[in-house]
Amino acid sequence: MNQWLDERLHISRLNDKFLRKAFPVHHSFFLGEITLFSLIILILTGILLALAYEPSNSLVTNSFDPGTSDKPNLIPAAYHSALKINAMPFGDMLRRIHHWTANIMVAAAVIHMMRIYFTGAFKKPREINWWIGMLLLIFTALTAVTGYVLPYDNYAYQTLKVIYGIAASVPWVGEWVAQAAFAGKFPGAGVIPRIYGYHIMLLPGILLALTGAHMLLMIKQKHTQPQYAKRIAYKKIVGVPLSTQQTPIMLLLAIMFAAIIVLFSAFIPVHPIEHYGPPSTTPINNIKPDWYLLWVFGALAIIPSFEVHLFGGLIGAEFVGAIVVPTLFLLAMFAVPMLDRSKDNMYYAENPTNHPVRLAAGVAFMAAMIVMSVAGYKPELISAGILNTANANTILWILLFLIPAVCYFGVLGIVRGIRTLREADQRERGAFSPADD
Amino acid sequence: MTRYKRKDPEITRRKFINAAMGGTVAVGGISLLSTLGTANPVFRLTRDKMPPLKGDVLVHAEESKEGQIIKVSELSDQLVRAWPMGKGEDGSNVIRKGDPNNILALFRFPKGQLVAPTNLEATVDGEIVAYSDVCTHAGCSVADSDQGDGMKCPCHSGQFDPKRGCIVTGGPPPRALAQLPVQLDGEQLVVSDFFLAMPYPYIAESEWESFKKEVEEQLA
Repeated sequence: MNQWLDERLHISRLNDKFLRKAFPVHHSFFLGEITLFSLIILILTGILLALAYEPSNSLVTNSFDPGTSDKPNLIPAAYHSALKINAMPFGDMLRRIHHWTANIMVAAAVIHMMRIYFTGAFKKPREINWWIGMLLLIFTALTAVTGYVLPYDNYAYQTLKVIYGIAASVPWVGEWVAQAAFAGKFPGAGVIPRIYGYHIMLLPGILLALTGAHMLLMIKQKHTQPQYAKRIAYKKIVGVPLSTQQTPIMLLLAIMFAAIIVLFSAFIPVHPIEHYGPPSTTPINNIKPDWYLLWVFGALAIIPSFEVHLFGGLIGAEFVGAIVVPTLFLLAMFAVPMLDRSKDNMYYAENPTNHPVRLAAGVAFMAAMIVMSVAGYKPELISAGILNTANANTILWILLFLIPAVCYFGVLGIVRGIRTLREADQRERGAFSPADD
Repeated sequence: MTRYKRKDPEITRRKFINAAMGGTVAVGGISLLSTLGTANPVFRLTRDKMPPLKGDVLVHAEESKEGQIIKVSELSDQLVRAWPMGKGEDGSNVIRKGDPNNILALFRFPKGQLVAPTNLEATVDGEIVAYSDVCTHAGCSVADSDQGDGMKCPCHSGQFDPKRGCIVTGGPPPRALAQLPVQLDGEQLVVSDFFLAMPYPYIAESEWESFKKEVEEQLA
């Protein structure tokens, strides 16, 4: 059969080009794979969910609690279908797997990027792939957020209102942008079909295209080689080929990963839509976005109130906190490969401690994100008596600058300490074993 | 590069293809733009989307009691959420909840506690006061603070003081919550005019004024 296929499809060329691709043997290289497996699980569970989901916010009678004929219990069709999905055999489980995988996909992508950053794998020639990776991260988050809205319970409704408000806060064009994006004034009659289109067609399409480009570039440019490859065979690609050695490893990883997600989903419930109920004007206490957007939420919570009128447009705290600040953070991340001036191609993953400034800057950046995320818990910190209304903003602002600074200089100090110890060690070794040279 | 450039009096194949492709892109782009233009549907100002109007009766917004007329005895220093209920085109009652920004917050404080900048003439005996319940920051519904110091928005912890005209006492909101003039008509609380200031989502007085005008024109 191989020959039959080969004569028609030139399998042997495919084999040489793609199937023999060498994969480095190091567990940190599994992070990208986990992100990819998440995407696959998300698409599969998403298709199953789409079969039973009704993308509409028109009101229908709640079949679980129809009310009386003169006063029927009306709820949005999307929420009703989410209740029905929960009532299906394994329906709730399906929703949980979808939700958990989405969270893990973002987490895996973030850790994958951390690996790339700290080992310098974004350097020439891989800058383009860093940028594609950034786009993947942004679109993954957008896909997750639109998915958040689809059950259309009260939580989703309140979230959507804030997202609409943020879109509308763009100066000059905001109101038009928000209405065009969300099918009219909030809550437009077609808002759920619109977001459904984004979540199941537009954004996954973008994600798949970007993922394809990401992986083609990775195959073309090859993985960065781990340090051991330098010792084993300098300037040669070291690793196990995709077919057949890496394939069983990947399959095993995929199955283990799926098993862990199913285990999570079996025991840890997510987003109980019954608890929140259909959309209403009752606010939800402690409403928060998912963890990966908590930093934006924190920025909004601690930014002081201000309004600047400029050429008929309004620049307010909401626009700065939810759009300008995240854009600056993302631009800083986009700019990472441009800060590297090396002209040579980079083959080997670097030891982070050999690049203390990069390491320290990365740690400080993450520390700033964490402080902003903690700032998202401002109401809880106040309720718990740790901060009070008067000092909360001041303290959180000071921490926002202080903690990253401490992290930066702390990391530099520790790395310097390690280096001194290492040098001392080498001197001693040199003193006691001159025969080695 | 050839040394001799062939002079062709007629249109070359490359030129033709380029022009054809350019034309296709232009026409396609324009038609795509027209499709995108329809992404923003026309807004129809129906009665249920109008803001609280003069003569509207205030009814409960809480799910279990929705549509029931609010009695004075039910009000206290704890927030009570209300919808304005007006008349539809056929004269039947219409709860104006088509626009969720119409949600109202009602309070009743002992005499003397409501102070400026609250507009006392727009309250009932300086005791009952109504505000827009939509945070001027990101448009969430504001609730009583669990600290017992006025109102707090659960979204980004904006704080307001309902005894002082719902001015901002903390957090990111840029403006006070708009006060709604109310009066007592028998047992019912009735709206006596438009909001005294522009409510969420308006960011410019002129927009709010023109919206008020649009509403009045349609009702006339």
